[in-house]
Amino acid sequence: MPADAIQPASGGPVELRDREICAGTWVVVPLYNEASVIADVLHRLRATFPNVVVVDDGSTDGSAEAARPEATWLLRHIVNRGQGAALQTGTEFALSRGAERIAHFDADGQHRVRDLLEMSRLVASGECEICLGDRFADGAEEVPRGRRLLLRAAVLFHRIASGSDLSDVHNGLRVLSRRAAERMEITADRMAHASELVDLVANSNLPVRQVPVRIRYSEYSRGKGQRWTGGFRVLFHYLVGRIFG
Amino acid sequence: MSPFQWILIGVLGATLGGTILATTTRRLAPGTGVLFAILLLVGILATIDPDRVTRIANVVGIQRGADLLLYLLVPATIAGFLAMYVRLRRVRREMTIVVRRLAQIEAEPGGPRKEDGIAGDDSSP
Repeated sequence: MPADAIQPASGGPVELRDREICAGTWVVVPLYNEASVIADVLHRLRATFPNVVVVDDGSTDGSAEAARPEATWLLRHIVNRGQGAALQTGTEFALSRGAERIAHFDADGQHRVRDLLEMSRLVASGECEICLGDRFADGAEEVPRGRRLLLRAAVLFHRIASGSDLSDVHNGLRVLSRRAAERMEITADRMAHASELVDLVANSNLPVRQVPVRIRYSEYSRGKGQRWTGGFRVLFHYLVGRIFG
Repeated sequence: MSPFQWILIGVLGATLGGTILATTTRRLAPGTGVLFAILLLVGILATIDPDRVTRIANVVGIQRGADLLLYLLVPATIAGFLAMYVRLRRVRREMTIVVRRLAQIEAEPGGPRKEDGIAGDDSSP
């Protein structure tokens, strides 16, 4: 069993409840060119969550083939449409299959399954309808300095632009109740979807909770790089989206 | 008139004819067609009589007619780019909807759950 998976218990009520929670939480994984890691990520995820919807966003490195044996469902964008578009595709599909909750989980292995389980428990218990990961709650020593500055700037921007009081606005780990997922339609196809979600959360009038999570910045994820220009591109697309709809 | 003026008038006149034809056959929206036609007419008149443009420029405090045209061209170009961008966004959004629908229709079931041998989901696609 992968180290990240929930440990099997003796079949008591708590474990039974967790199994129900996991079965009701459909995990959407947007996938783009992560062939070297996706099988392992999905294997860990699926050991705990039986319903994993992978949306391959036009990968060119064989990611879809690597993901197929480990996914519950594989959906393929025939051309690249961006992470926001992939998340919305998977969310709609999961809702059409009767998902009680929708989770978003990155394909590069940065997120921990145990964090997702904890967040799913909170939404399932009714404590909140939108549960968002917060990498800064526990100090965030592992977050690279450049990335931390960029993310802090994004938090400040959304505090001013959207009146948001979220402390980590670009965390890809989130769990939504069915009602919340139905209300929040992502229209920003590319990375600006995270900013769009901040607005949607602020306007949803649904109970929101942020939960401390850990992001694993591996050599692999660091190698992919995070540029400042990417931040400006997100800002541009977000502002254009707000102006032109 | 110089040969260049004749050529320009010919080009603008042909474009005007095409615009009128496209508008009357509803290949161009009426509002857009009328706007293009007015712009092309102004262009033809300005080519025939450049001094008139200079006189109009003088009225609004600009010395040369060419400068007036340049000043008008800048916001017109920006507006054109914006209109194109908005249209491009709409086309992109429609493209995403098509790609999404296709992905959802052709959803493939993955492999069975290996950890405990239980199939991940037994509902049909």
